[in-house]
Amino acid sequence: MAKKEKKSFSQCMAEWKLFLYNPTTREFLGRTTKSWGLILLFYLVFYGFLAALFSFTMWAMLQTLNDEVPKYRDQIPSPGLMVFPKPVTALDYSFRVSDPESYRGYVDDLTKFLKSYDLEEQKNLTACPDGALREQKGPTYTACQFPVVSLKGCSGVEDPEFGYSTGNPCILVKMNRIIGLKPQGKPRINCISKGEKTATLSTYPSNGTIDLKYFPYYGKKLHVRYLQPLVAVQVAFNTTSTGKEVTVECKIDGSPNLRNQDDRDKFLGRVVFKITMHA
Amino acid sequence: ARRGTGTEDVGKTDTGDGKEKYRGLKDKRLELKKNHQKEELKKEVDLEDHKLSIKELERKYGTNIVTGLSSTQAAELLARNGPNALTPPKETPEIVKFPQADGAILCWIAYGIQYFNDKSSSLDSVYLGCVLALVVILTGIFAYYQEAKSTNIMASFSKMIPQQALVIRDSEKKTVPAEQLVVGDIVEIKGGDKIPADIRLLSTQGCKVDNSSLTGNLTPSLRTHDNPLEAENPWNKMSTSPVGTATGMVINTGDRTIIGQIASLASGVGHEKTPIAIEIEHFVHIVAGVAVSIGILFFIIAVSMKYYVLDSIIFLIGIIVANVPEGLLATVTVTLSLTAKRMAKKNCLVKNLEAVETLGSTSIICSDKTGTLTQNRMTVAHLWFDNQIFVADTSEDHSIFDQSSGTWASLSKIITLCNRAEFRPGQESVPIMKKVVVGDASETALLKFSEVILGDVMEIRKRNRKVAEIPFNSTNKFQLSIHETDDPSDKRFLMVMKGAPERVLEKCSTIMVNGQEQPLDDSTAEAFHTAYMELGGLGERVLGFCHLYLPADKFPETYSFDVDTVNFPTSNLCFVGLLSMIDPPRSTVPDAVTKCRSAGIKVIMVTGDHPITAKAIAKSVGIISANSETVEDIAKRLNIPVEQVSKRDAKAAVVTGMELKDMSPEQLDELLTDYSEIVFARTSPQQKLIIVEGCQRQDAVVAVTGDGVNDSPALKKADIGIAMGIAGSDAAKNAADMVLLDDNFASIVTGVEEGRLIFDNLKKTIAYTLTKNIAELCPFLIYIIAGLPLPIGTITILFIDLGTDIIPSIALAYEKAESDIMNRKPRHKKKDRLVNAPLAIYSYLHIGLMQALGAFVVYFTVYAQEGFRPSALINLRVEWEKDSVNDLEDSYGQEWTQYQRKYLEWTGYTAFFVGIMIQQIADLIIRKTRRNSIFQQGLFRNKVIWVGIASQIIIALILSYGLGSVSALNFTMLRPQYWFVAVPHAILIWVYDEVRKLFIRLYPGSWWDKNMYY
Repeated sequence: MAKKEKKSFSQCMAEWKLFLYNPTTREFLGRTTKSWGLILLFYLVFYGFLAALFSFTMWAMLQTLNDEVPKYRDQIPSPGLMVFPKPVTALDYSFRVSDPESYRGYVDDLTKFLKSYDLEEQKNLTACPDGALREQKGPTYTACQFPVVSLKGCSGVEDPEFGYSTGNPCILVKMNRIIGLKPQGKPRINCISKGEKTATLSTYPSNGTIDLKYFPYYGKKLHVRYLQPLVAVQVAFNTTSTGKEVTVECKIDGSPNLRNQDDRDKFLGRVVFKITMHA
Repeated sequence: ARRGTGTEDVGKTDTGDGKEKYRGLKDKRLELKKNHQKEELKKEVDLEDHKLSIKELERKYGTNIVTGLSSTQAAELLARNGPNALTPPKETPEIVKFPQADGAILCWIAYGIQYFNDKSSSLDSVYLGCVLALVVILTGIFAYYQEAKSTNIMASFSKMIPQQALVIRDSEKKTVPAEQLVVGDIVEIKGGDKIPADIRLLSTQGCKVDNSSLTGNLTPSLRTHDNPLEAENPWNKMSTSPVGTATGMVINTGDRTIIGQIASLASGVGHEKTPIAIEIEHFVHIVAGVAVSIGILFFIIAVSMKYYVLDSIIFLIGIIVANVPEGLLATVTVTLSLTAKRMAKKNCLVKNLEAVETLGSTSIICSDKTGTLTQNRMTVAHLWFDNQIFVADTSEDHSIFDQSSGTWASLSKIITLCNRAEFRPGQESVPIMKKVVVGDASETALLKFSEVILGDVMEIRKRNRKVAEIPFNSTNKFQLSIHETDDPSDKRFLMVMKGAPERVLEKCSTIMVNGQEQPLDDSTAEAFHTAYMELGGLGERVLGFCHLYLPADKFPETYSFDVDTVNFPTSNLCFVGLLSMIDPPRSTVPDAVTKCRSAGIKVIMVTGDHPITAKAIAKSVGIISANSETVEDIAKRLNIPVEQVSKRDAKAAVVTGMELKDMSPEQLDELLTDYSEIVFARTSPQQKLIIVEGCQRQDAVVAVTGDGVNDSPALKKADIGIAMGIAGSDAAKNAADMVLLDDNFASIVTGVEEGRLIFDNLKKTIAYTLTKNIAELCPFLIYIIAGLPLPIGTITILFIDLGTDIIPSIALAYEKAESDIMNRKPRHKKKDRLVNAPLAIYSYLHIGLMQALGAFVVYFTVYAQEGFRPSALINLRVEWEKDSVNDLEDSYGQEWTQYQRKYLEWTGYTAFFVGIMIQQIADLIIRKTRRNSIFQQGLFRNKVIWVGIASQIIIALILSYGLGSVSALNFTMLRPQYWFVAVPHAILIWVYDEVRKLFIRLYPGSWWDKNMYY
């Protein structure tokens, strides 16, 4: 029985060899050179045609798009909240006051982010009146200035370390850009510390107000150099408390059309982050 | 070269290649045991008891033929030997039938790894694992349910009425259930009874037994024979005794009876894998090959692109899931059972679903003669009297022969009177040919014949009262009875006799011609012989008839006839005529045989009958066609010895069992290849198995028909065993894959047609199913290489495979044949595969790719119109999937949270899903035909296709709009216009396929045809 199997194995090998190259019919992998040529030519033409067709349909599809505004905005009806410095994995900031290296990344990130808010950069932007939506008709759209100084100690102007070196770290909260979004009421960012009162939070501009003059947004192409409004949260840990750890929840408040509660989307109109400070 | 006796020879040759036959079996011990069993079978059943005298028997079994066994003895024996019943064949444990849940386990493992890596990882893999496990279990249950349903039909067959036996115990006659019979019991049997066990006859009174379920012959063999199967004594369990009474001694019970031995042997013969099972396996190999090689290729690519190994493993699983057609098992099962249902309507009951297709690939049919090709009822065919042969066709106008002759008057009287058969009472309204008769086959034929021609036979018999009778027996070979005449003035007795023509003629000195008695001279004897030979040559059973009016002076009215001393003359009678009978072929058979022939199927007749009868029937049904000759025919025509005839000239061959015994397997192979028309006659049931094996050595797919218990090993051995529903024994039905409910050969042809159609349609179904695999696979590959957000999720893929695609792929089973499938050669088992290279390539690389492109257009459209242009999507994967990134910027400067992106991704899934679904509609339509244009086939002829299309659309609508809010399913409500984005691609697929078919039709045999026709 074993003998039989062995034989069939060698037979199998011989068959494979013959399949790879058959000298009598000059077949390579079961086809002659001519046959291979034909089949390759066929696939070249066929796939060339398919590629051309695909390119054409994609081109045709792109023609239906508008350069300035996406066709539909139904999937982002309400903005999410995001914080800076940009978190690496989870929203968990951890640093050591005594070790500048431990917060260098955060500081660099904030500096980089606030670069476009530099006074020099904002020179050509419009100083808009406060408290009202700023609808524009085009053809050119202007962006409003955002006074960084309103962020007080978190503006990076007075303290280039954003309070990290003094144990009062700053976190910037921003609202996602959505084209055409017009917040109703008086939107503000409301931040509270969750759990034990281990720290006091200060928000800048005062009350965490987001001015309506920054809305609506008209899109990357039309609304060049648009600056989105920012709110800063500065944490001051209680000297009495032993744990230098705080969980902060920020929510959009005061605007009925900006949602801040969604079971599935944890970032829709709110953001939760944790700061751990070691001595 | 002759080696020993024939039977031994057979046994030897079998052990020779036994190893090869059971190569697949790992257990050598089992193999040996099986071989041993089989050898035993081929050595014929060994019973000596029929040769022993009654005294020896009494001693052997410790019984007494007068008083029987005592009850205590019987109870003891019953306890020792078990009840007199057959052990039912072992069933495969049901749970084994369930396929294994590999995919699901793989998913759970993946989740396990994922979980260890990151505790917060999503439960997607777990869901997927559960869904896969559910799929596997459901398809398993489904397939099992289908199988069980057809098995149940069979179960109803085997239910028999509990049998009773009349037994002598403690010197008393008792009725006991047949199961309680023990060896040594003395039983009494009446006409119509089933013999309850193997018995040795002790005394009989005009009792004959129908052993046909054992020997396969219609007529009980009358010769004493060394072979207990054919010997007149003993009688075997399950045989029925149509007439007379008898007593006998039980010599074997239960599984030890001949029938029990055969039944257990049948379950020992291994069942070969069905062709469709082989094809499906081949298909699975292809799919698995493609899946694994693409999977590994992309695993390597992913690893070298610096993906995490864990991610790469998950990709691997994704690729494999995308490649496996999950719904196919269920589809194939449903398709097969639909055909099985259709076949059941046409009287083919399919027990084993896979056998549906086997019949279609059948290349040789080994058919029984009796009952399958013929009607299984003797009918008078010819008459010879007045030196003339007359055709008697009782089915039509019967006045076709001259009935005015005086000879006919005498002959008809003999036929009517010298006959013990009677109609069972209470059948006045039943047509004559359908009335139930108590009596053997020949007498039944004669009774019906005379009833048709002369009218009320019973009335005639009443008027001619029977005064004495010698029943037929095998030594006398005649039957005789003496009657009063119905002429009141004629006081003579009439003695009538029928029997074997030569024996009857011996007893005659005169012959009746035109009603006048003439001396029997050489010329009339010569005429008799010519007629006898001629009728015998037609394969008919010939009987001779003679009579004698006993002179009134010697035999007065009061004369007491004694049949034991024979106090009356039985010679110098007057010969009246010959009558021949045949079991006529079924009217539908010749047509069916022709169809088989044009379908390239070889029909071989295997019968236990005499070669001449076999050949005559073969000729009349076309198994031997009108213009082909056997070697013997040629020799006769050219008047040369048989040895000088070139075998090449003969197309047909008639081989007897004796000749077959002396043949080596090589010679048998040669015989089977050299002759296109073969009849095996006088074959023992064991030889049927040898013939089947011989055919299978030619790579043929062999169908075997049979009805007897003895056929069951051959039925099992065959690729498809076909049992007779009416005449078939339970053992045969158990061993068979299929049961012909009407016992009609023509039904097999219908079955072949359905089987071939299902093969074609399965091809279409598989092509249809395979196509979308590429459309499901490409997104994954693009996702890995180009880093696009995943275009379609695994669960969504499952919704295509098991949701939208199921009904359409079943609908293809209803497709009509493209051309006359019965004019094609049967497919070659090893060359014409279900899934061949062109099918896979065309499905994967042509239509599949087009589908993928079409679906990608829908996907890109959705993303672009929501803000992500195609260029922005490339290499977005990592950012896109990061949970911590909640301000991902799109092409317009808007920012998206993680969940908003996820939701968009699901919309993308839905879009891709809809894209595939829309193009699968086109795919479904193009798969209706492989060669013809859709317009030739008719777009609306198969209504089920449209049901399929409707189901596709409705399921997709429900998933998108109805279940769009269930987040675990990953479907969203899609804008109505996206449903139409892929329509141009769908139309393109249709047009492309029409062009392909056009070129195939225009240039048959061309490069295009070879590469594009699947």
